[in-house]
Amino acid sequence: MVKLDQINISNEGLTKFFSPIESMIMKTLWSEGEMMTSELTEKTKIPLTSVAGTLDRLVKAGYAMRRVETVNGRVRYVYASVSSEEEAATEITTRVLDSLVDAFGPLALENFSKYSGKK
Amino acid sequence: MLAASLMLRNPKQRIMTFVSAQVCVLLAIAATFYVMNCSEMLSIYLYFGYVAVSTIIIFGVLRHYDRVMIRRLGARPIAPLMKWTQDFVDRLTSATIYYYDSAVPRAFASGRSIFVSLGLLEVLNEDELKAVLAHEAWHIRNNSRTPYLKQLALMTFSPHKESELEKLADVFAAEIAGSEALYSARDKLDKVFI
Repeated sequence: MVKLDQINISNEGLTKFFSPIESMIMKTLWSEGEMMTSELTEKTKIPLTSVAGTLDRLVKAGYAMRRVETVNGRVRYVYASVSSEEEAATEITTRVLDSLVDAFGPLALENFSKYSGKK
Repeated sequence: MLAASLMLRNPKQRIMTFVSAQVCVLLAIAATFYVMNCSEMLSIYLYFGYVAVSTIIIFGVLRHYDRVMIRRLGARPIAPLMKWTQDFVDRLTSATIYYYDSAVPRAFASGRSIFVSLGLLEVLNEDELKAVLAHEAWHIRNNSRTPYLKQLALMTFSPHKESELEKLADVFAAEIAGSEALYSARDKLDKVFI
């Protein structure tokens, strides 16, 4: 879920914080910029029925935004990411670090200074 | 009568037999009370209380439920966005179309309002949209009659058959917009429009 209240440490990459469909959509939005729903379903190859609910959720959680565009009397959503990939990464990192400090206090800070990447 | 309603093919006849079966059950309930000939029975009070509450909910609250939905969904009238849809529905019944912000394609009718999500407008072409709107317009047209059906079903504790109403609405939609448009719209939406 996008709310970051559930983090799966054992998952790969972005799916630690997002669901697989959410992470695919966010990656596409970060790399391609503005996109229509039809382009999103084409790029990610996820059927509309699965994408639609996820997009609603991402918009509600503040990761994606959308505006309504009228083309030849037809209505279209145009999606974009709210912040860049780096900004989102910073936000997620801060939230995770906050929760670590919250749980372990000074001990967590001590470990950050000693931390030197994956063994 | 219930068995007969299962055997009939025509949804309209099925609803009619279903209703008459329910009326029979209701008469049976009344007859039982009469034959038992006892006053001051708790179950009678409970039953009448139940009937009164369900009547208020079905005839009073549901009729104005669209006001609640408009506020909850933040829905707005569709006329400034796509005027032809409102004109199309105006020819079928008196109802206002509202759209709301969601990518999930859905359409439903409540009170004298039809709600469509922006996702639905995005996915369907003009003919398919007409089929969906005609389907919902049928519900609006018959909204003055369906509460009786629901109320009867509640009073006799027998399940009320929504699927029959959906079929009738589909028949109407196919008449107005063509069955091809209806089927392709159904194909595109995994969620059935309510």
